[in-house]
Amino acid sequence: MADSQLIIDHLSKSYATRTGSVQVIADLTFDVKAGEVVSIVGPSGIGKTTLLKCPTGLQPMTSGSAKINGREIEGPPPEMALVFQEYTRSLMPWLNVEKNVRLPLRHMHLPKDEAEQRIHSALDSVGMHNASEKYPWQLSGGMQQRVAIARALAFRPDVLIMDEPFASVDAQTRFELEDLCLQIRDSLGMTIVIVTHDIDEAVYLSNRVVVLGQKPAIVTSILDIDLPVPRDQITTRSRADFAQTRTSILELIKNGKQ
Amino acid sequence: MKSHLTTPSRTATLAYGAIGIILLLIAWQWGSTKVVSKSALPSIPDVVSALRELVVQGSFWIGVALTLVIALAGWAIAAVAGVALGIAIGIFAPVQAATRILLEFLRPIPAIVILPLAMMVFGPTTKMGIFLVIFGVMLPITAQTAAGVESVDPVMRNTARSFGMSSREILWRVILPGASPYIGTAMRVAAPVTLIMAVVAGMLGGAPGIGNALSVAQTVGRSDTLFAYVLVLGCMGMATQAASVSIERRLLHWHSSYRGEQS
Amino acid sequence: MNEAAVNTTMNANDELALSRKRRVRARRIALRVLEIGTPIAALAAWWFGSQNSQNPFFPSLREILIEFRKLWLFDKFGSDVIPSIVNFSIAYIIACVVGIALGILLALVWPPHAMLDPVLQFIRSIPAVALLPIFVALFGFGNGVRVFAIALSALFPVLISTVDGARGTEPLLLETARVYRLTPWERLRWVYLPAASPQIFSGAVVSLQVAFIVMITSEMLGSAHGIGALTMLAQKSFDAKGMWAGILLLGILGYLVNLLFTLVQNRVLSWYRGAQQSESAE
Repeated sequence: MADSQLIIDHLSKSYATRTGSVQVIADLTFDVKAGEVVSIVGPSGIGKTTLLKCPTGLQPMTSGSAKINGREIEGPPPEMALVFQEYTRSLMPWLNVEKNVRLPLRHMHLPKDEAEQRIHSALDSVGMHNASEKYPWQLSGGMQQRVAIARALAFRPDVLIMDEPFASVDAQTRFELEDLCLQIRDSLGMTIVIVTHDIDEAVYLSNRVVVLGQKPAIVTSILDIDLPVPRDQITTRSRADFAQTRTSILELIKNGKQ
Repeated sequence: MKSHLTTPSRTATLAYGAIGIILLLIAWQWGSTKVVSKSALPSIPDVVSALRELVVQGSFWIGVALTLVIALAGWAIAAVAGVALGIAIGIFAPVQAATRILLEFLRPIPAIVILPLAMMVFGPTTKMGIFLVIFGVMLPITAQTAAGVESVDPVMRNTARSFGMSSREILWRVILPGASPYIGTAMRVAAPVTLIMAVVAGMLGGAPGIGNALSVAQTVGRSDTLFAYVLVLGCMGMATQAASVSIERRLLHWHSSYRGEQS
Repeated sequence: MNEAAVNTTMNANDELALSRKRRVRARRIALRVLEIGTPIAALAAWWFGSQNSQNPFFPSLREILIEFRKLWLFDKFGSDVIPSIVNFSIAYIIACVVGIALGILLALVWPPHAMLDPVLQFIRSIPAVALLPIFVALFGFGNGVRVFAIALSALFPVLISTVDGARGTEPLLLETARVYRLTPWERLRWVYLPAASPQIFSGAVVSLQVAFIVMITSEMLGSAHGIGALTMLAQKSFDAKGMWAGILLLGILGYLVNLLFTLVQNRVLSWYRGAQQSESAE
């Protein structure tokens, strides 16, 4: 695991409630190498969103550890960005697109040219350069999520974490955004971790898929996806090994439930 | 309301609230004995004894009652007239056109402006106080009611008509209930204003009630009585607010449940 | 149906639509005339109805306007109008700045909020004008005291609504702010303050009304200067013209102050209206 960029080691998480402590995550161990796309899938209601709050430093873990670039994660690390599922609530409605993307750069005190260039190229790569004056509420859901992704890109993280990023957009937009992800990985060399409930999406995007099971959550298996690159929405998805991988993951999840 | 912060338990909140009140009382007592001269900032025991003195007097209770009468009578008259006018504006386009500019201009003007005229015409009377209260809250109620009537879905109105409901039935069964959330809000917002105007009427215009008692206490330099009256007014303010909130909630109970079913 | 018949029905429909359009237009014009005409008619009625008024309370509008010009535009402009407006503006700005700052502070650190909440609720319930005699008793009635009294009375509505607004900030936005490592100052400037701004404005408009009432009351209560003082003086000396001139000026000021507020609010909250509209459209 020497070349791993993100290491999650025996992570567990419990919440204190009035009736006592409730464990949501029992034991998670997996690692992500630089430049990889890793998906995390599992049965619904297993606390996949909670899972992301610990390695992103938003919530303290109960035990275990998470490391990024060899460093222990305590608060949100500077080399990580997060894209939320609820794009309508994660963009500032009082800032236009350009200012939303600029917001995380303000405290970096970049030279003016570099800041402009980062914002421009981020908006460019999600195809939103024409909408920089628009406000989030003037945009469709898919466009808002593109802005949220652009904001993460301009931040230039090593690791981009996405929490069900395409769950609330229509199918067409979803395909476009998935390809956008792969393109980002290729052109910027970013490491991407995606939590999703869509197994097809996980297989299509990933180098590896982490399958969760049981409640509280544990890792039941980690699969390498050996589909050829570059991937294509039509040819990749119609391959026989795509269908096989998909079926085996489905079975793993089904077994994990029991 | 959702709070991002760790929500403290109820007992902790109550305890902190109690600490806050106690700290304020300590600061007050300390200030009255150590900082300001005794006559200006009375000590807590002084105010308590002044309050005790007041509550056994009939005139105090008459003052409280008169203040409430001014506030409530003005409120009631303003509500009836304001709602009637608001409905007329909301239903009849000509009425709306005729009143629009006048309302736009008159509504934001605080009622206190008219006080000198009211004093001149009515003298230091209860009537003057009631007039001021009406002037203070009627136009906001009118405007809100009109907005409420306009918010009633025209489809619903037409449906009611096609079911053969008479205009009167439509008014009572469709338009008024539809506008009632707006009217309720306007009435609640008006509550503190009615009390302010009732007090001002007494303080400046000499209308009977606590406002007048306040200015008398100030003139004769009884700051302990002054503080006692202000405490009483604070309680009255809290009571009117609580009452208007609970009335609104009770009257509009059907509305929120109706909405809950819809969505 | 043959062609001719179709044509006739179409023509009949066209004519019907045309006449309906014409009627709608006529009605719209009539309404516009009514809208502009009524205030003019009302003013005219006041002007002519009061022309030969002998009623001591209601002098003629002509006389009121002459008095208005004489008093406010010349004699008393520097000595009374300006000080009133300056007092009011300074006090209101202080109330808003302190109210927002204190409100943010209370919202983000909960023990002081829980501690102050009952006290704040009680003080807010006291009709603001009732605090004036206490100030007079405590500090006398200098100009500074008056500004302080206006500011303190106007503080509470904006303070309380700022607390509510900031505490209601969307949790996901705060997580976003943490993920992107926004500094405390940036969170305040770009997240908490804008998130609370709709609530802040709704409190600030109440504060505005309170500040106006307390300003006038304080002048009427015991002062030699100011618009309120002069208007009250005119009333007490049965100078109906002077009193009406005062009422007119105060009314106009009240209107203008509100207008200014609405303009600022529409500008600052344009994002909010847009967001609300797009939400209700969905």
